[in-house]
Amino acid sequence: MRKLFTIYSTTMLLLMLTSQLNAADWGSIKGKFVVDGSVGDPAAINVNKDTEYCGKHDLVDETVVVGDDGGLANVVVYIYTKRGQSLDVHPDFEASASEPVVLDNKGCRFEPHVIAVRTGQPLEVRNDDPGIGHNTNASFVANPGFNEMVTNGAPITKTLQKAEPVPAPVACNVHPWMKAYAVVREDPYMAVSDENGEFEILNVPAGQHEFIFWHEAKGNMKDLKMTGGKTDRKGRAKLKIASGETLDLGEIKIPAKALGK
Amino acid sequence: MNYGLRSICFLGSLVVMGATGCDFRAPEFHLNMVQMVSDATPTPVEYQEQIANVLGGMFGDPDEPFALPETGLDIRRLKMAAGPAWTDQKGAAFGLYRQHCSHCHGIDGDGMGPTALFLNPYPRDYRQGVYKFKSTYNPAKPTDEDLHRVLVNGIPGSAMPSFSLLPSAEVEALVEYVKYLSFRGQMETALTNYVYNDLGEEEVTDENGDPVLDDEGEPVTKLIPLDPENDPEQQEVIKELLAEIVDGWNEANEQIIVPAEDAIPTDVSDMKKFAESAAKGRELFYGTRANCMKCHGPTGLGDGQQDDYDIWNKAHLQFLESVAEDPGEGEIAQDRTEVAESLFPVRNAIPRNLRKGIYRGGNRRIDLFWRIYAGIAGSPMPGSGPASPGAQGTLTEEEMWNIVDYVLSLPYENASQPQRALPINTELVN
Repeated sequence: MRKLFTIYSTTMLLLMLTSQLNAADWGSIKGKFVVDGSVGDPAAINVNKDTEYCGKHDLVDETVVVGDDGGLANVVVYIYTKRGQSLDVHPDFEASASEPVVLDNKGCRFEPHVIAVRTGQPLEVRNDDPGIGHNTNASFVANPGFNEMVTNGAPITKTLQKAEPVPAPVACNVHPWMKAYAVVREDPYMAVSDENGEFEILNVPAGQHEFIFWHEAKGNMKDLKMTGGKTDRKGRAKLKIASGETLDLGEIKIPAKALGK
Repeated sequence: MNYGLRSICFLGSLVVMGATGCDFRAPEFHLNMVQMVSDATPTPVEYQEQIANVLGGMFGDPDEPFALPETGLDIRRLKMAAGPAWTDQKGAAFGLYRQHCSHCHGIDGDGMGPTALFLNPYPRDYRQGVYKFKSTYNPAKPTDEDLHRVLVNGIPGSAMPSFSLLPSAEVEALVEYVKYLSFRGQMETALTNYVYNDLGEEEVTDENGDPVLDDEGEPVTKLIPLDPENDPEQQEVIKELLAEIVDGWNEANEQIIVPAEDAIPTDVSDMKKFAESAAKGRELFYGTRANCMKCHGPTGLGDGQQDDYDIWNKAHLQFLESVAEDPGEGEIAQDRTEVAESLFPVRNAIPRNLRKGIYRGGNRRIDLFWRIYAGIAGSPMPGSGPASPGAQGTLTEEEMWNIVDYVLSLPYENASQPQRALPINTELVN
């Protein structure tokens, strides 16, 4: 037993040393999500509240947002960390750690649709719809949720203390069509695919990580095939980030059916 | 089991002679199956059993409740509230929860007791640890006093009766038991999330540490068991998870909303001042900063936004929709369909009709102030005050008191300005 313990502690020491030695090695990851098949046009929202103001914004359902060339927006990519585990953070992220992330109630929708925020980073909830009352109702798993009125010219600032295991839904109860998601992580290694379906995460610590792929239509995105791996049933893929290199996952095809279309 | 009942049962079985006799099965706790078969945390049967085992070890069962010292729960009170209902020779009552509560709130505190389906609103599901009528900030837990108040006053406008006739010690025992059921439910959720996020499948390796492959060349996997008894790391995690839950409840007393004395604007007995405050409240009620009218309706009848849900109904709705869209395959599909069929019809959260003068969380000014300040946890009602101590709110305390005064005057305000009847009829008669 004692011998086993010694072996164990030596390994741990070695592991710690190597992780420190490698701390300066960083790589990047990028990719593009493309819808395979047709998802059709997004459904128009039945604007039945504040019709005069909200009605003029041609609001549509934003669950599935697809660009002109089939790129799928709002796919969330982040790194799985075991409870209590944290990743080394590249010094470049220091400045952005205190920059507020803005979630705006604007045009009777949330802008942006998915926010990515680090623990301790200010989250500023705004209401830029003149004369329109909004409330912002966030349902978290790890953090205390909130549900507050947000008025013009008086943004509410929040800081979240804990990482959320999955993107958390945010709603406005006055305008039930308004939906957003908040990705809350301890580290900065998270991305939301843009209107072309592209994403990139810079300065990830080199080594193997389990990346989580998530989209609001179906949650964890299982069985996605990509250059260098595929996701399991929990939407996680083990991918290796090489020091000084960018791992390009290429075009990741998502069947329209997997988006409920 | 109650000894009295057991002897009656024994007699009964003698009479029937060889028939099945009385089958007194001790009630058991059940898992939150919506959670177990949801899309977010699909939990294999092996894990369901292991989670039930861990919960059993931590909390005992409905007849023999148990609480770890870390929970701070008073085991003496829990024992008074748990088990079958009976009275000892001195008249001390036991089994209070089963006598007074379980028919609506269920053995598990899931709000799905035998009578629950017939009630509107449905009885509260304690397992999320979310309570509506309390003195604390929106995300905070209720204080013991808050739960005590609900038990003693009941909830006007709902099926929840007043238990003011119970001796205070019995009410305290029930408060403790309700908290116990919340702790247990929250722990179940925490364990389910932990198992899903951090345990799950791992690849099987041979003695050389190489992955074992199946016939098709795919790595063979097995589930990492949830077995805190033999896994010190898991034990540590479970202690942390429990501590997080307990801390939340223990912090409630520091999260009480105490109104600033200089902001309480009106002496209610001064009619003129009260009317001034209510008039200001009226402006706010219909303005966009407080925005009360959007949900409570243009005349305060609760007929504004009516198609929203509280968190309990919303969770069921989302589950039902996911099953309707994709039940899954094989046994999973069967389980999911069964769970979906066991749920009550989903109901909308209907904003309160403020013209009735019935306030579920109490009709004191401070009760209404807390509702406006913090919102109503679990419901769509947002807070207008600061969300936590020291934060900035949308309305000032004085403005919130103005709204309190307006809401209190609403039942006596004309809903419209009716025209005086034209004197046609009178003319005809004359």
